Amino acid sequence: MKKIQFHLNGKKETVHCPPAKTLLEVLREDMGLTGSKECCGKGECGSCSVLIGDEAICSCLILVGQVENESIVTVEGIGLQDNMDVVQEAFIKEGATQCGYCTPGIIVAAKSFLKDIEHVPTVEEIKTALGGNLCRCTGYQKIITAIQSAARNKFALSGEA
Amino acid sequence: MIKTSEMQVVSPKSLDECLYLLNDQEKNNRLIAGGTDAVVRMKDKKWTPDIWINIKGMNELRYIRKDPSGIHVGPLTTHTDIVKSKLLQDKADVLTFAAKEVGATQMQNMGTLGGNIGNASPTGDTIPALYVLDARIELSSLYGTRTVPIEEFFIGPGKTVIQTDEIITDIIIRPQDTSEIGIFEKLGPRKAQSISIVNFAASINLDKEGHHCSSGRLAFGSVGPTIIRAKKCESMLTLDRFDKSLTHNISKVAWKEVAPISDARASSNYRRDMASALLERGLLRLMKRWENK
Repeated sequence: MKKIQFHLNGKKETVHCPPAKTLLEVLREDMGLTGSKECCGKGECGSCSVLIGDEAICSCLILVGQVENESIVTVEGIGLQDNMDVVQEAFIKEGATQCGYCTPGIIVAAKSFLKDIEHVPTVEEIKTALGGNLCRCTGYQKIITAIQSAARNKFALSGEA
Repeated sequence: MIKTSEMQVVSPKSLDECLYLLNDQEKNNRLIAGGTDAVVRMKDKKWTPDIWINIKGMNELRYIRKDPSGIHVGPLTTHTDIVKSKLLQDKADVLTFAAKEVGATQMQNMGTLGGNIGNASPTGDTIPALYVLDARIELSSLYGTRTVPIEEFFIGPGKTVIQTDEIITDIIIRPQDTSEIGIFEKLGPRKAQSISIVNFAASINLDKEGHHCSSGRLAFGSVGPTIIRAKKCESMLTLDRFDKSLTHNISKVAWKEVAPISDARASSNYRRDMASALLERGLLRLMKRWENK
């Protein structure tokens, strides 16, 4: 057991756990944040994506002992029902989710992607940026539409501000 | 075998501290950086060290800089760092193209160049690019450093000349000439995130019009136990006008020069066909890029 500290969704947290536990296991079991999902466990599906700093990574492939003092943001930190992010609102409005298992990872990856660009992304750009996230239900069409719509809304909002 | 819950994670603050830890041969320890391979192997119970030496945050090994001896890329440089580097885009384009093909965004954000080299997968995407850039790998231990040319570095699938007390501390590559242009081609079952079935890197010197090639380097991954520098193909580059028919002839020789096995991902003959096709497609794309430059 080891005492490990990090910033999670803007709050300083301390856990006592085996340091070779994956970050995903700690998020789900020790922190009770079950938004991030385990699916392939090998970095192929992206359903465990979280942000470290502002980069999307697979939380199933990083040991909690490696994230001491890092800033981690999960889908819960991006927004919950009462303070949803533009990306999450767009997913609801476009109906871009079916079973929902991949959705948290896709929201995280989309959030990180949209932060880096200043235009409404093309379909090709979205396919490249989200290439690490698999969805087995939707066929991706509505996901892509939702990300474009989120980008439009984001720029509309920042235009007003 | 040790349980995952009993493994320790130690994070050295400096290279010296790390070398000291590695030197302790009594302990069953192993380096971990990005974790994209190491954690998968831990879950598969293939790698079960008592202590993980976590070097992820060791920023002194994360850099990209140029000096008279070449371009130096720190082993902890991530694939994302490589893709974004202006210096590498300009002077080692083939490496940036290869790094862009390593998995998808998440893997590129986590995985490091040193990890790709140290794991010595025959399918590692950056390795053929490092071959055509004549990379040299610097290894350090408590007792000193040595530099190994990349062609002598890999001794088989997953096997390198790295000793248990050593760590990769620098990767030195040759900057491309102004007359030089590179390309990287990859075939995998899926566009993002996939392990290569065949990959191919080239870096070639062309005259202004792009009609003649004065020299060039070609390397294939995934078609042999380690990377294959296709020297027969290279020697053909300068034989004739550098055009469609020459590249077609070279691609036929490539079919014979590679030495692939059949495995779960593809058969040997399919890999030969694809090596040949990737070479031809790659060189044609390279010509197009040269024209538009």
